[in-house]
Amino acid sequence: MPRIGIQAVKGTITLALPLIALAIVAELVLPPALARLATLFLIYVTAVVGMQIYSGNSGIISFGHAGFMALGAYASALLTIQPAVLPTSLPTLPVWLAGIAGGQSLLVGTLGAMVVVGLVAVLFGIPLARLGGSAASIATLGFLVIVHVTLVASADITRGSQTFFGVPRGVSAFVALPAALIAVAVARIYRGTKGGLALRAAREDEIAARASGVNVSRQRFVAWLLGALVSGTAGVLLAHFLGAFSPKDFHFNLTFLLMSMLILGGISTVSGAVGGTALILVMVDLLRRLEGGAEVFGVTLPEVFGLTDIGVGLVILAVMYRLRDGLFGLREVDERLFPEPAVTAAFAAKKPTSNAASLSVQGVGRRFAGLVALEDVSFAVRPGLVTGLIGPNGAGKSTLINAISGVVPPSSGKVLLNGTDTAQILVHEVPANGLGRTFQNIRLFRNLTVLENVTVAADAVVRPGEDSRAAAMAALTVVGMQDLAARPASSLPYGAQRRLEIARALALRPSFLLLDEPAAGMNPAETDALIAVLRQIRADHEIGLLVVEHDLKLIMRLCDHIVVLNKGQMIAEGTPEAIRANPAVIEAYIGKRRAAA
Amino acid sequence: MDIFLQQLLNALSLGGTYALLALGLAVVFSIIGLINFAHGELMTVTGYAVCFALIWGLPFPLAVIAGLAVAMTAAFLMERVAFRPVRGASGTTLLLTSFAVSAILRVLFQNLISARPIPVAIPASLSGVVTIGPLHLGMIQLISIIVTLAMLLGLNLFLHRTMAGRAMRAAAEDFAVLRLMGLRANSVVATAFAISGLLAGVAGVLWVAQRGSVDPLMGALPVLKAFIAAIIGGLGSLSGAVAGGFLLGFIEVILQAYLPESLLPYRDAFAILLVIAVLLFRPQGLLARKTLVKL
Repeated sequence: MPRIGIQAVKGTITLALPLIALAIVAELVLPPALARLATLFLIYVTAVVGMQIYSGNSGIISFGHAGFMALGAYASALLTIQPAVLPTSLPTLPVWLAGIAGGQSLLVGTLGAMVVVGLVAVLFGIPLARLGGSAASIATLGFLVIVHVTLVASADITRGSQTFFGVPRGVSAFVALPAALIAVAVARIYRGTKGGLALRAAREDEIAARASGVNVSRQRFVAWLLGALVSGTAGVLLAHFLGAFSPKDFHFNLTFLLMSMLILGGISTVSGAVGGTALILVMVDLLRRLEGGAEVFGVTLPEVFGLTDIGVGLVILAVMYRLRDGLFGLREVDERLFPEPAVTAAFAAKKPTSNAASLSVQGVGRRFAGLVALEDVSFAVRPGLVTGLIGPNGAGKSTLINAISGVVPPSSGKVLLNGTDTAQILVHEVPANGLGRTFQNIRLFRNLTVLENVTVAADAVVRPGEDSRAAAMAALTVVGMQDLAARPASSLPYGAQRRLEIARALALRPSFLLLDEPAAGMNPAETDALIAVLRQIRADHEIGLLVVEHDLKLIMRLCDHIVVLNKGQMIAEGTPEAIRANPAVIEAYIGKRRAAA
Repeated sequence: MDIFLQQLLNALSLGGTYALLALGLAVVFSIIGLINFAHGELMTVTGYAVCFALIWGLPFPLAVIAGLAVAMTAAFLMERVAFRPVRGASGTTLLLTSFAVSAILRVLFQNLISARPIPVAIPASLSGVVTIGPLHLGMIQLISIIVTLAMLLGLNLFLHRTMAGRAMRAAAEDFAVLRLMGLRANSVVATAFAISGLLAGVAGVLWVAQRGSVDPLMGALPVLKAFIAAIIGGLGSLSGAVAGGFLLGFIEVILQAYLPESLLPYRDAFAILLVIAVLLFRPQGLLARKTLVKL
């Protein structure tokens, strides 16, 4: 069951009211030319919002949504085409289609289009979901070309590159309105769901998202499918608005236009998609009037072919150079107008101390080509105790951490986390098995709020009937950050960013917590505060802590048990006192001669 | 067997052009993370430069040199004017910027030159057919294979044997460290764009020589293919881009030769689908760049 927050409802209403008002004005007051423009606006809003669902939440620019519009347009038009023109326009229609083509209602046409669009989106989404960043963008571009080539080549059912005509034109503002409203509602609600939030987290930092239990590929797939269906609906509407069209109407020019609409308003919000669509549509309409050459203040302008493209191109450049987050920025209009009430922390009932939790490193070794980074390391991290992992540079600490968290499987030996071999499960499944982690170089979801950062992790382990936001608030309270919940993570001072990472890992309710140089770059006051927090966690939650640290003083103050690595091998293990007195450790750190002296 | 060899040569010639383009994209991507949509417009610019140089009466070899010079200058200017303001921004920002630059350039070509194709007077000596044993090969195809191989070899030597080349390879590994070593970022980036322009220029000349005309959208389709080739090879990997280019060329030629006639119009769709299917098994591309992610 998707989480539908009050905020998403407020957001949907905030965006729906102007759209409803516009449709009413268009139908009752506006002259036909402007009413058509308003209808076109509602259609484009649907298309751009569909794009926003995928691109905005995943951060992957899509060239493919014009392709879904094309599929929607052709699939629905085949069903609804006027039976009278069918023999002349499509004389070689295949038999299997002849029975259902033509004469159907717009609703049947839309449903048919949804089936086609959904099927294609699923098939293409499977490989696409595994890609991120620029590679994914180019794959969507490939998708657009595939759709275009296929439409042109399938002349039997599409008339090829010739105009497809005879589609009943019946889309007015009132017909387009419900689609636009549904689109906005779907996008705004999806943004706040568990999946939408997880995908936005992956947009900010894929590695940290995986470590917080997010199945990145699955979320990308869901957003791709949802966005495809919404944009496909826009294609249905556009087809029945125009009445006649050809494949080139759904190619690069449309893609370019939709993209400018999306980024002018700001790709990360639904409000931005709606606002940007309005602004670009007005601009394009004005430029189109100038395109044929016009007289302005007595000066005759020359005819410029493609003036709208130049205008759209310049808008994109201006946004990229000056205003990357777009006019509406990173937060929804409703989030600015009606800020959310504070969330009350709900502390989970203390788990009865279980001695069942176990994390053991068993004979772990790792080779990179010929280099032995780690050799036969074995130790156990015990619940309720702080284990320190130290060693000089190049000792193999990072390799060991990667092996424990399942990122880089060991070449020999294994890591058993509560009985599960971490190399045998996917990286995003490790957290749910009981291990949370922080990163040496802070990896936060920078453009999400503090509370959202932690909620991503809480969502990964939420139990039915539980409110993950309240659980996240509880984790924030543990590190003393409850008052900063609404701040963007990127605005936090350094020490607080480190504590936020700890809160995020805690929200996974781990039995073990792996802290990778938690005090790196902290001043003494921040380090003291950190130690207090870590002691608190150990005392309250019965969590086993594994702390990797360069700061030996901190390790000696904090740890109950210390493991020392040097040159890939474990050279010592024991209590802080024993380690301090161990000659091998002293030698590794300060050299043989000094140790002997 | 002969037919197969013949197809192989066709594939080498087509794949070579894709490889040159993909390599040009990869050189820039590996250093600043930009997928340059306007790469195709560099091809188009070259085509126009060659075309006008011939109209002004320059002999063909000089016209080609002029075309390549214009391509390198255009690439350099593109970086200086359009891409420097967004250097260091996210891949998305860079991609959108180049997308806009590409669209604006196309409209400028349409308005300032012509929306229609302009014929280019290619010397008759280039349109002959060479017969080697049982194989017939167009002169231009043959030249295109030789030029491609020479360019790949030359670039390889440049990257491994010269200071500037080594700096570029280092930049592709870690740009930040290179700057700490005291090398100037601007000159490395400028070199990358100049090379990318040269590669686009060579591909442009070969393309124009085969088609005999230039139009504003000339570069769009081949560069689209080159994008696909670059992802298949592994974005940012130079050898991957070359491998991806040749692979795509082979796939297209084989589909063209063996697809039943009724399916031929779908050739490009099949080719892209096949190539994307590769990503199911190798999401990082065939020759993925080794990335060291510091966790």
